[in-house]
Amino acid sequence: MGNLLALLQRFHMLLLFLVLQVFSLIVLFSENNFHRKEFIRHSSDFAGYIYEKRDEFTSYLRLAEINDQLAIENAALRSLLPENYITSDTATFKAQGVRQQFTYTPAKVVNATVSRKRNYLTLNKGYAEGIGIEMGVIANGSIVGIVSSVSENYSIVMPILHTKFQGSVKMKGTGEFGILEWPGGDPLFAFVKEIPKHVYINVGDTVITTGFSSHFPEGMLIGSVEALEDKPEENFHRIKVKLATDYRKVAWVQVVKNLQKMEIDSLQQQQIIADGGEE
Amino acid sequence: MMNYLRIFLFVLLQALVVSRIQLFDGLVLPFIYIFSLLMFPFDTPRWAMLLIGFFTGILMDLFTGPPGLHTSACLLLAFLQPLVQNMLAPREGYDSNLKPTIHKMGLAWYTTYAGILTFAHHTWLIFFEFLRWDKFFFQLFHILLSSIATLLLMILAQLLISPNKKSS
Repeated sequence: MGNLLALLQRFHMLLLFLVLQVFSLIVLFSENNFHRKEFIRHSSDFAGYIYEKRDEFTSYLRLAEINDQLAIENAALRSLLPENYITSDTATFKAQGVRQQFTYTPAKVVNATVSRKRNYLTLNKGYAEGIGIEMGVIANGSIVGIVSSVSENYSIVMPILHTKFQGSVKMKGTGEFGILEWPGGDPLFAFVKEIPKHVYINVGDTVITTGFSSHFPEGMLIGSVEALEDKPEENFHRIKVKLATDYRKVAWVQVVKNLQKMEIDSLQQQQIIADGGEE
Repeated sequence: MMNYLRIFLFVLLQALVVSRIQLFDGLVLPFIYIFSLLMFPFDTPRWAMLLIGFFTGILMDLFTGPPGLHTSACLLLAFLQPLVQNMLAPREGYDSNLKPTIHKMGLAWYTTYAGILTFAHHTWLIFFEFLRWDKFFFQLFHILLSSIATLLLMILAQLLISPNKKSS
């Protein structure tokens, strides 16, 4: 016993260090830990507030750039006005049986990282404004990411620039499906995988969303093919895609809410309950 | 008191200003906030240093995810700091309440002291952030250049903030 105490006495610094170190490494590597999620939720409220204060100062410096982005988007929206379409007298267009599926909430990016392996964006709106987990985020008509956690007034977005991000995409011309991934490194490029090699891909082809996932409407821009980096031992293309969103400059985004998602989810839930719960 | 206040100041400086520096597509990213840990006096008890490092790391993790990353790296730094100080101690030991600064200890001593600790902290941090070796050289340069940038900023900060204390 005396020996044990002497041993503890001798190595108590090392012990304290190891205990704290093991604790922090467990937090770092446990992905679905409850305490970890709570930490992120609370910290995003706190850090979001401070980031927003900073952004109030720095956004003045970027006003010209933000103006440009908004002007481009305005022009795009203007082109959708009914005045721009020819209406014929003989057939009146009636919007019967049309339901709105997606609504958009504008939000401001108050913090963004691009140089890490797991990057995040902080938005200045949270569940108080109707933002929820798993909603899609777009900017200027191209996709940015998916909301990964929300607090009352802020939300954290997992952008394409996150090694855990996976999105289903398709080639605009051929409609061939693939998986979008980002391996880390250059914030301008991501990769599309799982498109078989017999499919012919041109440099410059457009990559868009599939609409299979409930996050985004179909056909939103993701980027264009920059190069093919195929490896001979693989049966699938490795398509390097230049992302349409420049994460270093994104200032305003829109959060996509899928109005049908609730209905679909609750219908599926009812069915599961009717069948006697999940397996 | 100033020591603890400095932690908050430098964590804010890191999160709001320095982390925005993205030279060469993120190749150089200084972590200046560890300066506040390196400034603790020589007679800080080791257990206190560990706890201070632990909480500084948590504070930094509040701003930048993933949680645990900075906590882990700061703990390593706080554990090594007294060891490096002992390694570099003059024969008669340190005076009580003395602080490890350039003005008290000299540029050569400080560069060695801060260099070793910064490099250890950055290596640990960047290794645990990336956890892969297929971009070995990128990471190696990332660690080296970021450490050098941090070290230069720390030296610069001291030369700018307290130029008059040399005489005291």
